[in-house]
Amino acid sequence: MSENKELLFEMKNIEKIFSHVHALDHVNFDVRKGEVHALLGENGAGKSTLIKILTGVYTKDGGQIYMDGKEIEINSREDAANAGIAVIFQELSLIPTLSVYQNILLGKEISKFGFISDSAEKKQIQDLIDHYGFPVKATDIVETLSVAQKQMVEILKALATDAKLIIMDEPTASLSSRESELLFKIINQLRDKGVSIIYISHRLEEVFNLSDRITILRDGKNAGVIEKEDIVPSEVVKMMIGKEVSESTASRTLKTSDAETVLEVKHLTHLGYYDDVSFEVKKGEVLVLTGLVGSGRTEVVRTIYGADPYDSGQILFEGKPIKPTISKSVTNGFGLIPEDRRTQGFSPLLSVTKNVALTSYDKIAKSGFVKASDEDKLGEKAVELTDLRPANPKVKVGDLSGGNQQKAVLGKWLTRDLKVILIDEPTVGIDIGAKDEIYNIIEGLASQGVAVLMVSSDIAEVLRVAHRILVMREGRVIKEFNDGVATQEDILLASSGYVENQEEA
Amino acid sequence: MNEKLKNNPVMKVLLGNSRLIVLLIMVVVFTVLTSGKFFTYKNLINILYAVSLYGIMITGAAFAVLVGGIDRTVSGNAALSGAVVAMTILTRGVGGGNVALAIFLGLGCGALSGLIHGLILSRFNIPAFLLTLATNEVLYGIVQFVTGNQLIYIRECALMDYIGQVRWLGIPIPVYIMIACVIFSYIVLNHTVYGRQIYSVGGNRISSELSGVPARRDILIAYIISGFMGALAGFVLSSMNQQASSTQAKNYENDVLAAIVVGGVSMRGGSGTIQGAILGAFLIGVIGNGMTLIGVDAIYHNMIKGLIIIAAISIDMASVPGSPLNNFLRKFKKKKA
Repeated sequence: MSENKELLFEMKNIEKIFSHVHALDHVNFDVRKGEVHALLGENGAGKSTLIKILTGVYTKDGGQIYMDGKEIEINSREDAANAGIAVIFQELSLIPTLSVYQNILLGKEISKFGFISDSAEKKQIQDLIDHYGFPVKATDIVETLSVAQKQMVEILKALATDAKLIIMDEPTASLSSRESELLFKIINQLRDKGVSIIYISHRLEEVFNLSDRITILRDGKNAGVIEKEDIVPSEVVKMMIGKEVSESTASRTLKTSDAETVLEVKHLTHLGYYDDVSFEVKKGEVLVLTGLVGSGRTEVVRTIYGADPYDSGQILFEGKPIKPTISKSVTNGFGLIPEDRRTQGFSPLLSVTKNVALTSYDKIAKSGFVKASDEDKLGEKAVELTDLRPANPKVKVGDLSGGNQQKAVLGKWLTRDLKVILIDEPTVGIDIGAKDEIYNIIEGLASQGVAVLMVSSDIAEVLRVAHRILVMREGRVIKEFNDGVATQEDILLASSGYVENQEEA
Repeated sequence: MNEKLKNNPVMKVLLGNSRLIVLLIMVVVFTVLTSGKFFTYKNLINILYAVSLYGIMITGAAFAVLVGGIDRTVSGNAALSGAVVAMTILTRGVGGGNVALAIFLGLGCGALSGLIHGLILSRFNIPAFLLTLATNEVLYGIVQFVTGNQLIYIRECALMDYIGQVRWLGIPIPVYIMIACVIFSYIVLNHTVYGRQIYSVGGNRISSELSGVPARRDILIAYIISGFMGALAGFVLSSMNQQASSTQAKNYENDVLAAIVVGGVSMRGGSGTIQGAILGAFLIGVIGNGMTLIGVDAIYHNMIKGLIIIAAISIDMASVPGSPLNNFLRKFKKKKA
């Protein structure tokens, strides 16, 4: 594999500037023929900007791009496709009711005198499938396929247009481990046939196993290129994080609280989602569940709230076992800040007041009737407690910025007497200023004695607010950080499958 | 506009409700075009009388739309209720107890129909439009069965005669029934927890459920109210006509839903008011009546009504940021500016 060192694709000194910020600062990146090349970096390191430039979504502000040694310009998706660059989308773009070959040839149908030649289409695609040895049939209907198979159809779609360079962005995010294995086999087969692949994943384990080379980006700059033989996991993580990161944000001193336990979970299991999860959250404590997306964190939190079922195990609230339902949870003093605020957090057409009051009608209504003045008080209180802007509770939540929408969702629960708050990825898509305010709110809740259970993938965020940290992977808690110093590196290694201090094989 | 005029309470109401302005303009236009014939006591009462039936149905059907669904069975429920009332009176006589039983059964049928629809639609992910399109046919089938496909005359039932014939202060009783229903719906939607939950569930069911709102129960109740109001309208209609037929109220659901949309209730749920929906009914009623008086051929009525509905839906769609229509209008505005 590595004997073929001929370059297929090269980007030199790529620059991209977004409103005075250097998103990419003289970045170099190249891919050889028949190579799996991983692109690594933390969120915001510039990976997606680079990919968007090479697929024609963004135009570069400087630098050159070469394909097969010739300089090319990529100004649109068509340019990228013509150059032989294809992306396998995370959200699959297939039409479920059509067959595999119909999907692959969509818009490129083989026709004679205006009539589609079905048999020619089937044959062409089946030949393509056989050539690469994919486990699908040309005539399969897409909606009957597994997620991994659908991904293969996406790959076939790229191959049918003679793509020479295929970009896979987190392709295993929605695959089971068995399906992932299948995908890795396919990737290896593609490489053997001379196709080049740019592979992006947060799962370092699979990156290290698959890649022939790794390019690491950090803060929009090149942080290093490593050949397969030279990969040392902890070194790679260090390169991703950077040495100049200050101690305060890169680590946190944790401490187990000796306050009373408010919420306890024992051997909680929901088959297919998470397995044998146990932990406790104490009064005034912030326990963070971290790990990769899809590791079962959200499902655990939803189960505790009563929004999802479970198969076995026990949930204890203030020492007593409970069988949660949402309405019981709300009366017990639980609150939930859901994963995706737009679809799960608020009613966009309603005002801040009406959204906030929704959780409190048990308190303010008299025999089913509501007084608007009571609601207004709650709305004003929510605005005050969260410093919501504009400071007008009559504004529709749908018209607010992301950060203020999240504050409105927080306001739903801050206006109640809370005992436990479950928070799922509270700052996704929120600007830095509002993030900090939300962390302050969370810390404020903890200092008032509320038990906080939070899910977060953002390591900086985890280290900012956590009192204790649990790392989940594939449905299991694989590491706990209770006392002492936890560093960014420790957490990143644990989440991506490298648990060094724990003998668990 | 000067400040004094802006602060005038009448102006405030008008500025806050563009439909009211449109309605008033329509009234003036038709009055002028008909050289006053439109704006006579008799004609205005005619309009009120005609709109009252739709109005009663709207006060129920609006719940289904607001909660994020739709109920096309208001007409079927009306027909069934009329038929059940008529058949009960026909078989048992017009004694007080029998009439009470008849009304109980008739309205009960509507509520039961709503209960069944609510149970299905709150639990299963079936498009409400399709389900109620189909079940409305089923309901008319049941009505044919109940009436034996005959016109059933209701004679000498004092209460129904009273509702159908008598006027208080010169205004027919059905108008008062409609006003009572509007007040009921207005209070429920604006002053109760249930009303708040309706808007919330209609706007975002998942977030409402996660906030502890019993969305299933709320949807169920919405369809029961819709079924009940449909049945009530059917009873009133039978009182007006002193008969029940197997085609009673047929296709009324189209005008009811049209009025709801024209009245500014979003078909996506979660936004709109009952007073808006009633104004929508008056707009459609006034336009129909005015066109007849002017002498517009009846064949054009539906066409014009259709155009008005398209206009209303366009306004609804254009108000959603990011929708193609909204983007189009934005671009258009930019070009002008």
